[in-house]
Amino acid sequence: MSKVSALFRQWNFNLPISALVANRRGDWIMAALGDGSVRSLPAHQEAEQPRVLDLHKGVALSLQMDADEHSFLSGGDDGKVYIIDPQLDAPTLIAEHKNQWIDHVAGSTEGLRAYAVGKNVHILNDTGSPHGEVLSHPSSLGGLAFSPNGKRLAASHYNGVSLWWTNAKHTLPTKLVWKGSHLGVLWHPEGKIVLTSLQESALHGWRLSDNAEMQMQGYVGKVHAMAFTAKAKYLATSGAEQVICWPFFGGGPWGKSPTCLGGQDARLISCVAPHPKDELIAAGYSDGMIILAPLDGRMEYMIHIPSADPKASVVGLVWNARGDCLFAALEKGDLLMFTLESVRKAVAHV
Amino acid sequence: MDQVPVTVLTGYLGAGKTTLLNRILSEPHGKKYAVIVNEFGEVGIDNDLIVGADEEIFEMNNGCICCTVRGDLIRVISGLMKRAHHLDGILIETTGLADPGPVAQTFFVDADVASRSKLDSIVTVVDAKYLRQRLHDSKEAQEQIAFADVILINKTDLVSEGDLKKVTQSIRQINAFAKIVYSERCQVELDQVLGLGRFDLNKILEHEPDFLHVHDEHHAHAVLGECHDHACTHPDHHHDHVHDHTITSVSLTTDQPLDPIRFENWMGDLRANKGNDLLRYKGILALVNSDKRLVVQGVHMMMEGSNQSEWKKDETRKSRLVFIGRNLNKKALHEGFQACAVSS
Repeated sequence: MSKVSALFRQWNFNLPISALVANRRGDWIMAALGDGSVRSLPAHQEAEQPRVLDLHKGVALSLQMDADEHSFLSGGDDGKVYIIDPQLDAPTLIAEHKNQWIDHVAGSTEGLRAYAVGKNVHILNDTGSPHGEVLSHPSSLGGLAFSPNGKRLAASHYNGVSLWWTNAKHTLPTKLVWKGSHLGVLWHPEGKIVLTSLQESALHGWRLSDNAEMQMQGYVGKVHAMAFTAKAKYLATSGAEQVICWPFFGGGPWGKSPTCLGGQDARLISCVAPHPKDELIAAGYSDGMIILAPLDGRMEYMIHIPSADPKASVVGLVWNARGDCLFAALEKGDLLMFTLESVRKAVAHV
Repeated sequence: MDQVPVTVLTGYLGAGKTTLLNRILSEPHGKKYAVIVNEFGEVGIDNDLIVGADEEIFEMNNGCICCTVRGDLIRVISGLMKRAHHLDGILIETTGLADPGPVAQTFFVDADVASRSKLDSIVTVVDAKYLRQRLHDSKEAQEQIAFADVILINKTDLVSEGDLKKVTQSIRQINAFAKIVYSERCQVELDQVLGLGRFDLNKILEHEPDFLHVHDEHHAHAVLGECHDHACTHPDHHHDHVHDHTITSVSLTTDQPLDPIRFENWMGDLRANKGNDLLRYKGILALVNSDKRLVVQGVHMMMEGSNQSEWKKDETRKSRLVFIGRNLNKKALHEGFQACAVSS
């Protein structure tokens, strides 16, 4: 692995960062901070000082891209759900549950917004009114995700996933059953497969057409980050010393071994961000190291060095839509911007 | 990384958990605590940061009992750790029916929780008047005594001195190493219940005086299933059922140094075969060819150990190991432990 200097800009917020996400259009990014505020920044090289917005009384428990392609959606431990337009000075409060936590939020491409309070999921339409009944589940929710076409909602919980049709008035969910506590949930970009990460450091998945199941094991820690690479060829995952990439082509992932990227040191991968166009993965580690790893076996580059600071963990990693800027958030409060141009220059220099 | 200390308050409904909790929170200590409660909204608790959670027991797909954790605690503690503000501690109030096993295991099994927080101690509040009855009819009441580091015998003003002695004996027969504190209306100094570090291997030696105080072998018969005392008001309670869940302490000692390999094998077998029934155990051990004390502790199948301070030159190198568990076979444990010793 080659070390290159690719850091383009850096900001420090002096507050812990818990999440970093891009909006649906991929032209703004937003970081959630430990005092309940957020910082937003246009996702390009000319970005200046991040905008500051006080949001939750406690902290944001879930920050996601909104249904609206420009905005963000946030749920907090103050029981509030906000839509945040990064260019406006005030967020829009769309729901409030006193003395409860909003653990998860999700926006759909069809304009719906869902949020989880304990075992229940509420869906709001684009005018902010309740959309259908409150959806109840057997245990607290581990994750929420709308299908790519917005017609279904996957809610993960203990012992499986409940799949809801978002436009059916009275309906029972399809149950995807697998013993254990299911945390994060992710749809394949074609909407045919649902994947979850489990408490016992493994992944489980279901192909909806025939209920064929997949189990991916061998992780050291819980898989906090999983994302499909460009054209959905691989599922890139955190939770091990290397980026574990499961092939979703040629009959995979059944019976196929994953492609493993990065070194094999004791540190764990905490974040993954596949490039939006190329077969390239950015990965962040629990000690602050960040690498760029091509999937075709070309050389990997270390673009940020590890640190001895116990709070250097990479907690968020996102590309802009063009794929020429990569943003990283470190738990201790640093927001870093890397550009592909600076990587290329540095590589040419090596 | 700084780990926030977590104190678990258990005890049967009405014993005084909420009173103790409010007492802790209302002291002028200037400290900031987060409180996790189960029956949120029904009880008045005076604190800024109070989180309601359902007690959700998550078994793992592998079926391993020692991996059973409390999902609600993982979720809430992970959420609390996103906050920038420093927390001096987390207090968890469980329901009277909670099994302390999964609560304790959460802090060892879940890597995210373990990296940010550490279990300080389990404090069980009991009602001096009704405890013996509870022990007769409730498996949970027995487990809460068995898992406790501190047992606060509350409402001592409602019983006679003789009855209090009996209550203390009943507790001791289940749990030989807990610290017992007496109170009326939970009036106790906070350093009796907070910041004790009872799961910290470095601190087990500090508690050595408590730990060495033997309350064991001769009294280690079953406390339950005896119907001749006045606390038993249910003539039809199920002796057999209660016998099945009999929890006792067994304390083992030897003056002969232990062979480390034999000890490891014996403990390994015990945890693999009886781990389900071993609720808690602690030991301070002298190994052959080592001048340091080996300190061990465990919950079910999970055990940790480390070498601690050296034995003094003129000190008797006495090894002591205490088990708290269900259906403990005292004779077999004695024999197994003695077989680890190297005769001089």
